[in-house]
Amino acid sequence: MPGREEGRRNLSEAAPRRVITAVAMSGILVMVFILLFLMKEGMPILRDASITELAAGRLWYPVSSPPLFGMMPLIAGSMAVTLVSSVLAIPFGVALALFLTEICPKRISGFFKITLEILGFLPSVVLGFIGMTVIAPYLQVRLELLSGLNLMNASMLLGVMILPTVATLSEESLHAVPQSQRDASYALGATRCETMFKVVLPGASRGIAQAAILGVMRSLGETMVVLMASGGAALLPESVFDPVRPLTSAVAAEMGETSVGSGHYHALFFMGCILLLFTLVLNVLVIKIESRREAN
Amino acid sequence: MKKAGCEGGSKALLASQPSLGEPRDMSGLRPGYAVWRKITDSLSTFLLWAAMAFVAAVLCSIIAFLAAKGGGTLSWEFVTEPPRNGMTEGGIVTPIVGTLQLILVSMCFAFPVGVTTAVYFNEYARGGALKKTLRLAMRSLASIPSVVLGLFGLAFFCAFLRFGTSLLSAGLTLGCMVLPTIVTASETALANVPQDYRDAARALGATEWQTIYGVVLPTAFPGIITGGILSVGRVAGETAPIMFTGAVYFAPGFARNLFDSVMALPYHVYVLATAGTNIERTTPLQYGTILVLLAVVLGISITGMAARSRLRKDVL
Amino acid sequence: MSQAKLTVESLSLSYSRGDPPALRDVTLDIEENSLMAFIGPSGCGKSTFLRCLNRMNDFVRGVEITGRVLLDGRDVYAPDVDVTSLRRRVGMVFQRPNPFPFSIRENVAYGPKLLGERDRGRLGEIVERSLRNSGLWEEVKDRLDAQASSLSGGQQQRLCIARAIAVEPEVLLMDEPTSALDPMATARIEELARELKKIYTVVIVTHNMQQAARVSDHTAFFLMGELVEHGPTTKIFTTPQDKRTEDYITGRFG
Repeated sequence: MPGREEGRRNLSEAAPRRVITAVAMSGILVMVFILLFLMKEGMPILRDASITELAAGRLWYPVSSPPLFGMMPLIAGSMAVTLVSSVLAIPFGVALALFLTEICPKRISGFFKITLEILGFLPSVVLGFIGMTVIAPYLQVRLELLSGLNLMNASMLLGVMILPTVATLSEESLHAVPQSQRDASYALGATRCETMFKVVLPGASRGIAQAAILGVMRSLGETMVVLMASGGAALLPESVFDPVRPLTSAVAAEMGETSVGSGHYHALFFMGCILLLFTLVLNVLVIKIESRREAN
Repeated sequence: MKKAGCEGGSKALLASQPSLGEPRDMSGLRPGYAVWRKITDSLSTFLLWAAMAFVAAVLCSIIAFLAAKGGGTLSWEFVTEPPRNGMTEGGIVTPIVGTLQLILVSMCFAFPVGVTTAVYFNEYARGGALKKTLRLAMRSLASIPSVVLGLFGLAFFCAFLRFGTSLLSAGLTLGCMVLPTIVTASETALANVPQDYRDAARALGATEWQTIYGVVLPTAFPGIITGGILSVGRVAGETAPIMFTGAVYFAPGFARNLFDSVMALPYHVYVLATAGTNIERTTPLQYGTILVLLAVVLGISITGMAARSRLRKDVL
Repeated sequence: MSQAKLTVESLSLSYSRGDPPALRDVTLDIEENSLMAFIGPSGCGKSTFLRCLNRMNDFVRGVEITGRVLLDGRDVYAPDVDVTSLRRRVGMVFQRPNPFPFSIRENVAYGPKLLGERDRGRLGEIVERSLRNSGLWEEVKDRLDAQASSLSGGQQQRLCIARAIAVEPEVLLMDEPTSALDPMATARIEELARELKKIYTVVIVTHNMQQAARVSDHTAFFLMGELVEHGPTTKIFTTPQDKRTEDYITGRFG
């Protein structure tokens, strides 16, 4: 390491270098501790229930005796809200990005970008609150549902939450498509929309894929909105208007009621491990796409 | 005339290669298709405008709705008095102060560590496994769901380090959450410092550290602070990481030291909306609290955005 | 002599109101099936003028254009003109090769597909003919599905020419098509341009006077937004009428 040689020559160069490197490494430490402590608190559940029981069990009765730790409805709930919100928000977000880069006049694009950014700043608890007080009653009356707190409600709000992420990141990658390719398309007699959808969008596909995955990731990990608006029933959803209880909301709702070291406590940490696993896998995917983009 | 030209041209052009005959006339291909192209063009332009207008309308109506519902509750007493009577009356000064304390604690951890990490990335790291590992750790940290960070805070800060359910535990958990944001913002700011500045300082005989401390950091400081402000906005609005690490349903007063638990604005909103004994009666309080939370979060964030846009203009 | 394919009548252009015009009162005829070169020092307005011919300047905000550009006698700036069909008829090749990030085949087929051609067989024919006519066929016929970016710079530029002629334009505008290429690739493009004028009307902008002398039938000399002189290439290069033209072609400035 060159740092070491310099250190021998001159202590005043080496000391700050060592301190800064050491402090910077605390980031690695934090990440290692996160993995370690989640495993430490989550794995003991395997003494009470097998992996199959946890993953395939359909009954989540953690406080009955004997307790049942079937997490399938919760996992399905997480999957369902993530899927529905992504289906709603990703095309919408890409559309907004296309609007901002290809259609919006420069003078007012700043205004719309600020709008999107502020939308992204809204605290999730506020959106959850809107879900409870505005959307739920509306859905309940309008569609004559038992409860307006359901998969659809939570997904719409999650969609609003991830929309700015998807739109902003997509916009960046659309922006990176060279103007010369747009010119080439126009010079062949393409309309603006043909240029947009057949040249610009494919040219930015990797960046948009990345934006979409980051959106999915946020949607999967978001807590307050699903806690407040998804209805909280640990059942396999059969329609988009069924209440669900995603993993994050189960952890948030139940952690306060468990005693440290109980099976329930370990089960909730195990859910944390599942969420962590999902996001890390998605994260690796993003990094893969990114390194391929850079290689091109 | 045109056709004759084409034929002759193709033959002359590639005498050795057989031509495929005269070019097709492309102008009249699929009659009516040109009209269809024009319609789809206008239609999709319209739809994209509509999409953006819809989003702007959603944001405006959310804010207008909350302002209309909560505006009546706001008063000097509301923001300066503690909750009373089982939180069905009184103000919200306790959660306001709690949120400010959480911001302070989290920033005391995340800001120095984040800026140092950025300095490491931008000024010291020379590739290699260590840098890659740290980069991977930061990106992973940024992607972790906030509720999982809450679990980590519970297991590590509260239980393992015996900080208990406290301001300190919650603040550190929030600090872990915003650490990657601060690192990224600071890195950008540092990268924008022209290499000339470093060269000039080194040419005057400054050590590496003197260069960084005396020249690079002060130049990058406005950008670093802007990133800091934006992450404060996030800290102020987050609920999930503090739910089981330090925020409580009710506290009789302010946290006197790091090991006291606190009330926090976002958690207070959640509590009032879902767990109150008398949700009907607290409706005005709920809207009032949300409005204050929004004012705090958006106030900080918009300040950050404004600072950033001024900064960009200065740079240009 | 052929008739004029393009007629430009007192065309002026300024990039924003109040600015000094980037083009001043340009009047010019471009003959069918001929090759015309625009020469002049950089910033003289020759590229701007070229982009007026297929209305690519429409994208520049605040641009103001007066005068007329007639294609086969019809004003291309008339309000009822469909810009997309104008641009199909007046193709363009740019300064730097700008293939789409698709395969070679998809690049050439892009234009015909826009026009509604879906038949794979006919698309295949168009792709082959266009690539043959741009002299690229023999080099790429075995790898039509390779990415366009895998080609060399000169090949990419010929691909861009193939892409432009796949929609059967009547006029082909080339904006300094060899400025980013090496001498060998440049020679191939020049040879190609001479062939293409037999099918199309070709206009080429170049900062390289030798190139203009080598390839063109007619030459127009631009200076500071003005069309100083135009006429048969041999005449411009041997007996220029204007002192400024003479100074330029003898290398006294620019």
